[in-house]
Amino acid sequence: MTSDRKIKANRANAKVSTGPKTHRGRARSAKNAFRHGLSVPSESDQALCEEVQALARQIAGPHASAHIQLLARRVAEAQVDLRRVRYARQQFLSEALAKNPYHYEPRAVTRAKMRIIKHFLTPKLADIPMPTLIENYLTTAPEGPTRFATVLLKETKRLLALDRYERRALSRRKFAVRAFDEVRRRS
Amino acid sequence: MENSTSKTISRWSLFGPPPILEGEDAAAYDELVGRICAAVKPVDVIDEIFMADVATSEWEVLRWRRLKLSLLRARALKALEGFLRDKLDYDLYREHFVDELTPILQDNLAEDQAEDLAQTLAHECARNDPDAVDKVNHVLAGIGLEMKHILQRGKTRKAKELTQQYVRRESDAVEFIDKLLATAGVSIETLTAEALVKDLDYIERIDRLATIAESRRNASLHEIDRRRPILGETLRRSVQEVEDSEVIETTPAKGEALLDERPQDQS
Repeated sequence: MTSDRKIKANRANAKVSTGPKTHRGRARSAKNAFRHGLSVPSESDQALCEEVQALARQIAGPHASAHIQLLARRVAEAQVDLRRVRYARQQFLSEALAKNPYHYEPRAVTRAKMRIIKHFLTPKLADIPMPTLIENYLTTAPEGPTRFATVLLKETKRLLALDRYERRALSRRKFAVRAFDEVRRRS
Repeated sequence: MENSTSKTISRWSLFGPPPILEGEDAAAYDELVGRICAAVKPVDVIDEIFMADVATSEWEVLRWRRLKLSLLRARALKALEGFLRDKLDYDLYREHFVDELTPILQDNLAEDQAEDLAQTLAHECARNDPDAVDKVNHVLAGIGLEMKHILQRGKTRKAKELTQQYVRRESDAVEFIDKLLATAGVSIETLTAEALVKDLDYIERIDRLATIAESRRNASLHEIDRRRPILGETLRRSVQEVEDSEVIETTPAKGEALLDERPQDQS
């Protein structure tokens, strides 16, 4: 159980903390709630709405009844949502892979490198050239498959979130397609 | 057939851009799509949607498998390189030691004698000539280096060289390394497994992604299978409609009337 002293300290600290102060910090925190925009329904966006309509028309085909059109629209909505999630994931992975190679270096490695640099910056060693092996270690960042694997591991949380959106969209589309097929079969 | 396949592929822009990341082969993806189209022969947009899903998921499965294989290969090579660095005899990397030492001596000896003397001194030092070793140690101390650093560089270079030869399956290197491994009582698999202990998280993550992609691909295939009877019915109806329209074409006036009378909800 949290002690009274700790609760008081937490409250006092919370009062001191009034959020970001710099212009950059405020601009960034203003976008905290926005991650990928995937929770925004497609009907609230004009371009997405048109995309849904175009696809629904293709799915329903010509001379479709109002009911078939409605069911086709559900399939199209789920499909467009799926496309958005997949596109978001692809963009995210592309951007992550294009980032500075040191960005995804394991923290333990960065800490070890910092210790070595500090050691070589001491006055005693400052004039001595750094051995090549150490220099190579300091300037080596994850590359190739290691880099890709590191990105996947470090961004697990974000990728899992995108995966959840994809799973939901797939499930919605599956049932929408089944309903569409069922009605079409009966008609 | 080819025409309908290319039409299908062009319609896929509705289902999003191809899932290709930087460094991946776009032509290979197009080939995969073409093969899937040819195998499934889609008859409606929903069929195409599922086919696009199969292509996307299959591409991901291939991506994760490739990544895992590359990671395992990279780790195996790194482990082998480390093993060789530990086990190489001095005689094997003596020449590399000379190659590493010579330019250092050339840079740090007096200019008029540097060119010839550096090479001779490096060779004498490599043969363990006490005078040469003393001179080299003196030069190295002046620039904050030690003999062991240069030996290490030579050893590393030789280990890298041997590893590359092993990858290219050059018989001498393969024979030498296999013998060295056997003497130490290890195999390339053991070395890889030991190196992978640190990377199990990576492998686990990649495996999980591959499993997700596989199950999604299988679900799409299952949906295509499920729709086949429906598609069969649709196809039969389409065939009937084509046959009907052929009759209609022979009697245009009556045909036009028939078309007008057709209920609007027919699809």
